[in-house]
Amino acid sequence: MDTQDHNLKEPLEQEGLTVTQGVTTAVPEPPILEPEDDDVVPQQARAKRHVPEWFEVIWSNRKARVGLILLLFFILVAIFANVLAPYSPTDISFGPSQMPDSQHWLGTTQAGQDVFSQLIYGTRTSLIVGALGGGLATIIALVIGMVAGYMGGIVDEILSFFINLGLVVPALPLMVTVAAYSPVKGPTIIILVIGLTGWAWGARFKRSQVLTLRVRDYITSAQFAGDGTLRIVFREILPNMLSLTVLSYISAAIGAIGAEAGLEFLGVGDPSTISWGMMLYWANNGGAMITGQWAWLVAPGLALAAITSCLMLINFGVDALSNPQLREE
Amino acid sequence: MALLEVENLDVTYATKQRPPLFAVRNVNFELNAGEFVGLVGESGSGKSTLGNAILKLLLPPGRITAGSVRFEGKELTTLPDEELRQMRWRDFSTVFQSSMNSLNPVTRIEAQFQDVMAEKSDLSNSQIHDRIGELLQMVKIDPSFMRYYPHELSGGMKQRVALALALALKPKLVILDEPTTGLDVLVQKEIMHNLRTLQREQGFAVLLISHDLGTVLEVSDRVLVMYAGEMVEDAPTHGMLKHPIHPYTHGLLGSYADPAAEEVEISYIPGRPPDLTRVPKACPYAPRCPEAIPLCRQAKPQLLPMWDGKAACHVAQMQWNDEQHNHTRHSEEGPKLLDAAFSEATSHKAMKLEGEEVLRVENVSKTYQRRAGFKTTSMNAVNDVSFNLRSGKVTGLVGQSGSGKTTIARMITGTEYPTSGAIWFGETRVDKLKGRGIHNYRKHVQYVFQDPFSALNPVHTIQYLLMRPLMNYGKLNAAQARQKVRELLETVGLTPAEQFETKMAHQLSGGQRQRVVVARALAPDPDIIIADEPISMLDVSIRAEILQLLDKLVRERKIAMLYITHDLLSARLLSDEILVLNQGHVVEQGAAKTVIRQPTNEYTQLLLEAIPRLERPDHVRASYVPTAEPTKVQVDASPVSEE
Repeated sequence: MDTQDHNLKEPLEQEGLTVTQGVTTAVPEPPILEPEDDDVVPQQARAKRHVPEWFEVIWSNRKARVGLILLLFFILVAIFANVLAPYSPTDISFGPSQMPDSQHWLGTTQAGQDVFSQLIYGTRTSLIVGALGGGLATIIALVIGMVAGYMGGIVDEILSFFINLGLVVPALPLMVTVAAYSPVKGPTIIILVIGLTGWAWGARFKRSQVLTLRVRDYITSAQFAGDGTLRIVFREILPNMLSLTVLSYISAAIGAIGAEAGLEFLGVGDPSTISWGMMLYWANNGGAMITGQWAWLVAPGLALAAITSCLMLINFGVDALSNPQLREE
Repeated sequence: MALLEVENLDVTYATKQRPPLFAVRNVNFELNAGEFVGLVGESGSGKSTLGNAILKLLLPPGRITAGSVRFEGKELTTLPDEELRQMRWRDFSTVFQSSMNSLNPVTRIEAQFQDVMAEKSDLSNSQIHDRIGELLQMVKIDPSFMRYYPHELSGGMKQRVALALALALKPKLVILDEPTTGLDVLVQKEIMHNLRTLQREQGFAVLLISHDLGTVLEVSDRVLVMYAGEMVEDAPTHGMLKHPIHPYTHGLLGSYADPAAEEVEISYIPGRPPDLTRVPKACPYAPRCPEAIPLCRQAKPQLLPMWDGKAACHVAQMQWNDEQHNHTRHSEEGPKLLDAAFSEATSHKAMKLEGEEVLRVENVSKTYQRRAGFKTTSMNAVNDVSFNLRSGKVTGLVGQSGSGKTTIARMITGTEYPTSGAIWFGETRVDKLKGRGIHNYRKHVQYVFQDPFSALNPVHTIQYLLMRPLMNYGKLNAAQARQKVRELLETVGLTPAEQFETKMAHQLSGGQRQRVVVARALAPDPDIIIADEPISMLDVSIRAEILQLLDKLVRERKIAMLYITHDLLSARLLSDEILVLNQGHVVEQGAAKTVIRQPTNEYTQLLLEAIPRLERPDHVRASYVPTAEPTKVQVDASPVSEE
């Protein structure tokens, strides 16, 4: 018991407030009063450290550290793609279906584009789709889940009906159908499709979180203080479940990256997009397996695996934020 | 050789990221076979850590960094885990506060006993069965209950099953860590009584860890007192009652009084325990100690024998030495000590205000209906209750859990509607209010929560928390509200306000948090405050402080208060009128003093008996009276600024 309390009594940092606070409430309140930190000393210590507490917690987790470094690598690659890539990804001036050599590290495509350059530019699409698709799904999940959980009664019944509907409708066929029949093609429509089909699980998750938080005394206290419903939901409850929200955002981003690659591989994407999914699609269509161009097929596959794993690894660190017992001391 | 010997034990919680916390420092004590010893201290004093260290149940990052623990001469700190496992339960066992939740919910009570007994004894199945029956009878549970699942038993019964489990293999030592905290007062009393009888019959040794000195003194032979990780007193119970040696023990004892006495007074210890990340080089209690002399702030006192026990206190030691040389005082007398106090006489009750009626509860009943299959059962939570709240007056609502106290509070605040009867707030029918009406009504009725740890949102600063009601009800703008927040903080004694407004709730101590909760309730300038067990989660040593604050505010601001509690002592001190509630019925109602001094109902008498009665010698009481008035004035002037 004392152990846990000790973990909880960290001097929290101003910058890191929101996230770390989620931690404080994610575990049961200490039942017995503990002496608090003395007023003077932690404040001095606080001034000395510049890294926010939440980052320190994630960074101290070895798996998350690896994940963060990898993610930083991918982000840098995406930003400096035009510098890093040796050729333009759409340049078709090279010989078709070349094997890897010193000119083209990963060979060329059937149409004569450089595979390595495509791989580098494809990072952009995956990261953007992950960030936006995951973000859209998380925002929809947050609003629906939190309102359903907090309001209860008939509002909850109706919203829960839609959540359940979203859960039972098979997502992949739905995504394929919507993406295939949409008048425009491209990453934007894929982000929308992913966002609109992928929120249900997150909504259910947040609804149950709110159900446990809304009976806390401080919520009743806010009601007595005259705060309105929206304010209570977003200012009193949301900050307390922020680390869990981040957790589900990362999961949603992983799902979005995977779904995007999947949809494009199935051929419902815009054929002119430069992305890992599209590379896989063309590699498959171009008979990479038959011509023995292993690098064309393996490289985007490995890149996808690497980016989803790095997000997974970061999730371990975020887990430690919401559950102090998982922290590596 | 003693059964358990603890020598120079140090326990430290050390993590990479923050400074190590020296939770237990240089603790020495012995426990003899068959002895019943209490271990008392405020929260954070290291008492539970010490208990876990003895059992080697410390979780990382907690570690024993020095010293030794010997059980029957065998060193436990270096014993391999497997050997330790053999000893656990057979030689020593434990019951925690949460032990009742450690029962496996999917197996029957009998199977939980069988698990332990099959593993650690050679009894046959039928012998085990008989023994389980015996064990259950020992803790006053009918053996037929062994076929039940844990959820079919009440909390008190589960805790008794946990106790029976701990005793299943006849251990020589049982460590009980807050075994009855959180249970109903009457149940607590029964379990402790039961435990004491069992211990006398079977002769096992007990180390009872508790924050509640009163309970411990009632059952123990000897009491150890810990403060800030150090052992400050080790004395036999009868001696401690007559003359507590250490000023801290004296302060703790001050929180107890006989509610049925002519004059009731309880005291508190101002200030808070030190930060244990820095080892105090002097007496850790010196900053809070009313007796402290310069030496106390310079050198650390040793735990030395004096009178009939041991204590670590320079002042007591000097008095003891003087006595040894001069023989001027009898050993019965003990040291003379002072403290801050709250009594009925010093409370503002004496002002005799004639309060006007603010809220009238008329023949209110509340029935809950539950449908199980085709049957509907109804439960009367509240039955035909009438009373009124008057401005500047406190009405005490007393009863054990399940007596309907909270239901009444919820009906008054408009969160629940009575089945019949009416609640009048002036000309408003509270029980007919809806939506916007309730919102407006809540400006007038505010709530002080039981648990200051969950009543303040951990993500907001104190300033934000206090600004909300001001902006919502007072229609102030942010700048005005900020100004008002400072006034509020000063009203509840959190001075200087600038220091507190930027803090988060977790940076404050329990008592300070409860003051913030009170300030928040005061913010809309309400007519009624409902205080639901406002002191039951606080450390014993600071309870009187919060009572004093509530008392002052209610009388000065002419607020009508409904004080909900199970504790007749605090009800006697704070309330003008008391209602005793039993299963939804008001069984007794009248002026506080009359109800408690001449109870006519059996149930009131039961509640009265549940209060630890400490026979205090006259000189302790005598030392209060002359100091009560000046101390109080001083406390009012600088209520909470601790340092």
